[in-house]
Amino acid sequence: MKRTLTVCPYCGTGCMFHLVSDGGRLVGVEPSVTHPVSRAGLCVKGWNAFAFVHHPDRLTTPLIRRDGQLRPASWDEALGLVVERLREIQGRHGADSIMVASSAKATNEENYLLMKLARGVFGTNNIDHCARLCHSSTVVGLAETFGSGAMTNSIDCIDQAEVILVIGSNTTEQHPLIGSRILNAARSGARLIVADNRRIRLARHADLHLRHRNGSDVALLNGMMQVIIAEGLEDREFIESRCENYPALAAAVAHWTPERAAAVTGLDPGDIVAAARLFARAKRAMIVYSMGITQHSHGVDNVRCCAALAMLTGNLGRPGTGVNPLRGQNNVQGGCDMGALPDVLTGYQKVADPAVREKFARAWGVDGLPDKPGLPLTRAMDAAAEGRLKGMFILGENPILSDPDQGHARRALENLDFLAVQDIFLTETAQLAHVVLPAACFAEKEGTFTNTERRVQRVRKAVEPPGEARADWEIICALAERAGYGGMRYPDPSAVMDEIASLTPIYGGICYDRLDPHGLQWPCPDRGHPGTPILHVGRFTRGKGRFSPAPYRPPSELPDDDYPFVLTTGRTYFHWHTGTMTRRTHLLDREERSAFVEINPDDAARLGVRERDRVVVTSRRGEVRALARVTEMVVPGVVFMPFHFTEGAANALTNNVLDPESSIPEFKVCAVQVRRAP
Amino acid sequence: MKYLLPEQLAPFFASLEATHEVRLPILLPDGTRALGHPGDGPLALHGGPLPGKPTAAFFPHEGGVFTAAAGMVSTPPAPEKPLLVAGFTHRDLACLRFIDRFFADGWRDDIYFRRRQGAVIVGVSGYCGPGGSRIPCAGGECDLELVADRARWLVVPYTDAGETIVAGLPDAAPDGALERIREEAAAMIDENELLIRRASELIRADRVPDTFWAEIGDRCIACTGCNLACPTCTCFGVQDLRYAGRVERSRMWDSCQLDGFMREASGHNPLGTESLRTRRRIHHKLAADPERWGEISCFICGRCDGVCPTGIGIFAVARELVERYGGE
Repeated sequence: MKRTLTVCPYCGTGCMFHLVSDGGRLVGVEPSVTHPVSRAGLCVKGWNAFAFVHHPDRLTTPLIRRDGQLRPASWDEALGLVVERLREIQGRHGADSIMVASSAKATNEENYLLMKLARGVFGTNNIDHCARLCHSSTVVGLAETFGSGAMTNSIDCIDQAEVILVIGSNTTEQHPLIGSRILNAARSGARLIVADNRRIRLARHADLHLRHRNGSDVALLNGMMQVIIAEGLEDREFIESRCENYPALAAAVAHWTPERAAAVTGLDPGDIVAAARLFARAKRAMIVYSMGITQHSHGVDNVRCCAALAMLTGNLGRPGTGVNPLRGQNNVQGGCDMGALPDVLTGYQKVADPAVREKFARAWGVDGLPDKPGLPLTRAMDAAAEGRLKGMFILGENPILSDPDQGHARRALENLDFLAVQDIFLTETAQLAHVVLPAACFAEKEGTFTNTERRVQRVRKAVEPPGEARADWEIICALAERAGYGGMRYPDPSAVMDEIASLTPIYGGICYDRLDPHGLQWPCPDRGHPGTPILHVGRFTRGKGRFSPAPYRPPSELPDDDYPFVLTTGRTYFHWHTGTMTRRTHLLDREERSAFVEINPDDAARLGVRERDRVVVTSRRGEVRALARVTEMVVPGVVFMPFHFTEGAANALTNNVLDPESSIPEFKVCAVQVRRAP
Repeated sequence: MKYLLPEQLAPFFASLEATHEVRLPILLPDGTRALGHPGDGPLALHGGPLPGKPTAAFFPHEGGVFTAAAGMVSTPPAPEKPLLVAGFTHRDLACLRFIDRFFADGWRDDIYFRRRQGAVIVGVSGYCGPGGSRIPCAGGECDLELVADRARWLVVPYTDAGETIVAGLPDAAPDGALERIREEAAAMIDENELLIRRASELIRADRVPDTFWAEIGDRCIACTGCNLACPTCTCFGVQDLRYAGRVERSRMWDSCQLDGFMREASGHNPLGTESLRTRRRIHHKLAADPERWGEISCFICGRCDGVCPTGIGIFAVARELVERYGGE
């Protein structure tokens, strides 16, 4: 019986627990009683996080496609083939003819190494990861307004807020231990505003539940800001001393009267006024948001408005306040921090900056680094579909289920000359690969994950990987070696972190011997620095906070006579993303066994659909079958589907239209029709 | 009267490893206390009930049931040596007695008893509760008991197995310390125990409306921690993993807070709402088990309140219930 303290592999909350193992096999999970985030609790996925690890479907040997079939191969053959084919494609079509997809499931060290491999060894900035699909709008929007694209405050700040505005976050289901804090805060007297047209659990505890139309967040937030300014509730001192460009904001929101905002959002004007007053009058008001804000063709504008509302009311740089985007994956914050993004190296140092490139090139011992920002993942899929991109290396992502417009994603991947996938299971994406590399999962390797509040925490090995599977970092280093690069020889991941710290000011003080037991929050610039629970105290990262007013733009595809419903997609509490792990976890899969679509009782009655009836949902891009869940969770005219299920893939329906600045897809709004299955 | 000085405890337990598979409270590097092997970490007998249920030594979170391959069925082997599990408080011992009876009743759970049979149970009591507070003595519900008496641990055997284990320990002249601790403990009143008893009375008298359970259910995020932490929750799920001509059946702790727990194949679910599931969680302990077993099956260990992220463990629910419906 052995206990290994590690970080949960599911969401970005970053709960820590002990994996319990016996005889080399995981047999359970026990929460860390002292952990500042999870505080002795876990959600249902955390309690079951051990259960998929020994599943017989785990990949145990490299696979190479021969005669159309993936067949077992040696590591030697597989690594050799990956390097040979990528080099060959680059030789023929140029360095930027390949794309590298990193993973928010992998550790910081692994993201760093894959970024180093892409840039330093293969000479391309075409590296990205699934942050593109969840919070790329945050990274762009908050970097522009505050100078840093991360959660401004800490999870502990929830306990100190007087008012919490939760907009576009089903927190108790998607960040359950943060949602619990909000729920507890509301019961202890904090006032709660929930802006989300699904009747999520937090809405049942809200002082005000705003069920605004999908994609009308800019109108709602501009309307609230208009009321605040019109009624003189803005924080003039904060605006004058800490911010810039206020006149532009004031001018832009002046015409967003409650009536006009109500006309766009479908809300009662009085509710917009009430929300504005409640938020602005609080001494400490906090905004919590997630993918309901970001996953729109105007996601960056939504983020700008959240930032503006917080600055307008002086709610930044103090406990109990802030703009708090909840990052989705266990290490999506770290994936971004490590520069698994096409335009930045670690710590958001721009590839366009010659001094930055010079610093990294010297440290890595390479002649130079590419200066042109690479392709975002979503644009890379378009490029592949159009034949402009020829090769792809995907680590721990499953775009066949996670990317918009599944038909498009499949065409893109099938159109590649070469696809290599490194994963723990043979995902829908891996099934299309030419080479599959078997990886260790979170419980089988060392490293760090960075949670949503920028807390860098240790991931520890509890058991051996199955068969010949290896840790992602070992595989990446072996690929570098194959490619003739000798600068990726590390005794262990701790040495990788030392290199990261030496090149990354915000991680400058991070080293493994300082991370026990519960990590450090960046920025942590040197070994003596205690970490930073709250950003922008006294001064924004960029100096002054910048108001960036945003005009309202409707979603790209709205309902019409042919496709009369809005489809909004998301996740359920019991599954994680494409189900790779949770659908192989008995209790979680038992709980949600199949694809479903939430439909309002009025709509269901009109369509003659009853609970659990099989329905067909069709968009301009595809058609799927799912079971009807007749519920007032959704408003009339809107249906909701989770994207976990390969046999009823919501992303067969979604619209591959991208935010022009962040390239995030509009997962939250497209038009569909629903009918009873014949 | 046998005794051990604090520095003698670790060698004492280490010496038992020759004859037993020893599990005892240790302190993990993050400050969590858990059952571990001697040498896995500093001994942590002080601090009250362990956060994880000690009954997990016999009924683990997940464990094998059988493997079927090539026409043969094999079951997991019994431990090579009998288990010796230390760290049970008097509350934990009541829980253990309850589930021993449950697993033995009618159809006997051989997987449980494969580990439980012959196991030596070591209770802890005296001045070893949180912050040095007192834990009442267990009496005869364990094989031997370690009673913290400030600068030493009194060692009190209750069974032949316990007598054998303590035989070589030094004797101290009787000084009335054990009796004093027992008397002090007997005089202690546990408010939570009174609360649970009162809540049970109110539920059984049908004084609690369904709206109350709906309200509590609204606050439940279905983490299942209450069930997984509870020493008297015995429900488990079963899964079969089939591969390479083998079937491996295992079982894992299950939770009545999950929709799938009682959902029928048709999709119908007699516990199909959060309200019904929340009510069941409390009713089972405070109303159904008293009918079946003659006693409330919450033994006031507090673990569900410790793990619940939203503050609706059984003490919290009982407190709210008694405040609202307990008036005459």
